[in-house]
Amino acid sequence: MSDRTYEILFIADPNLGEPEVDALTTTISGFVEKEGGKIAKNEKWGKKRLAYLIGRHREGSYVLLTVEGSGSIIKEVERRIRVTDGVIRFITVRVDEDLKKAERRKGQRTAAEEKRRAKGHVPRPAAPAAPVVTEDEGVQQ
Amino acid sequence: MSSANSGAARGGSGRPGGKPGGGRGGAGGAGGAGGKEGGKRFFFRRRKVCKFCADKIDYIDYKDVKTLSGFVPERGKVLPRRMFGTCAEHQRKLTLAIKRARNIALLPFAAE
Repeated sequence: MSDRTYEILFIADPNLGEPEVDALTTTISGFVEKEGGKIAKNEKWGKKRLAYLIGRHREGSYVLLTVEGSGSIIKEVERRIRVTDGVIRFITVRVDEDLKKAERRKGQRTAAEEKRRAKGHVPRPAAPAAPVVTEDEGVQQ
Repeated sequence: MSSANSGAARGGSGRPGGKPGGGRGGAGGAGGAGGKEGGKRFFFRRRKVCKFCADKIDYIDYKDVKTLSGFVPERGKVLPRRMFGTCAEHQRKLTLAIKRARNIALLPFAAE
């Protein structure tokens, strides 16, 4: 229950200097840790142009935090972020399930490839695309 | 008349896309149609393959603007599957990723 992974991506006010953005990041990390969560990763993207205006801002400093913890942590952290000055937009996404699924897919694919190779077939780089290619060739001939 | 017919048939079968026996025994009209069909079939559209399947991308990241912007026109719309040939599963994931990216101002909702 509690070993979920979330990504909190937030946009800080572009008028804040770098030390202030760092301070803001520490504040938000503090919210997470206070609730019993863990900061797994802390990535600063720097100032980027926004795709549209938020308030009157054309730019924003993006910071990505990867958080490990339960859903109740996120609820409280989100509430606190909302009342924090300097954050103009944020998004929280649960990523562990999708990443786990992707990992499983990858494992299945490599296993299938090894099986094929063990059978003596020539390993093709793009196995799912193979029948399509032959179909096209058949039309051309 | 018959010699002209056979000549047309030969021309049709000589083409790469022509039906092998299209204009052989039947009327001249049928032979001509077969030749035309062969010509038409030559302009087949390239079969689109899902880019995410081809590149073996299982997780479409909303933060990866470079990849996403390749599937969003300048207006910022999500285009139907037939435009890019993405498979159903990946189109679903792509749409979700685009919507998330819009929320955090990485992609536009609409053109400015």
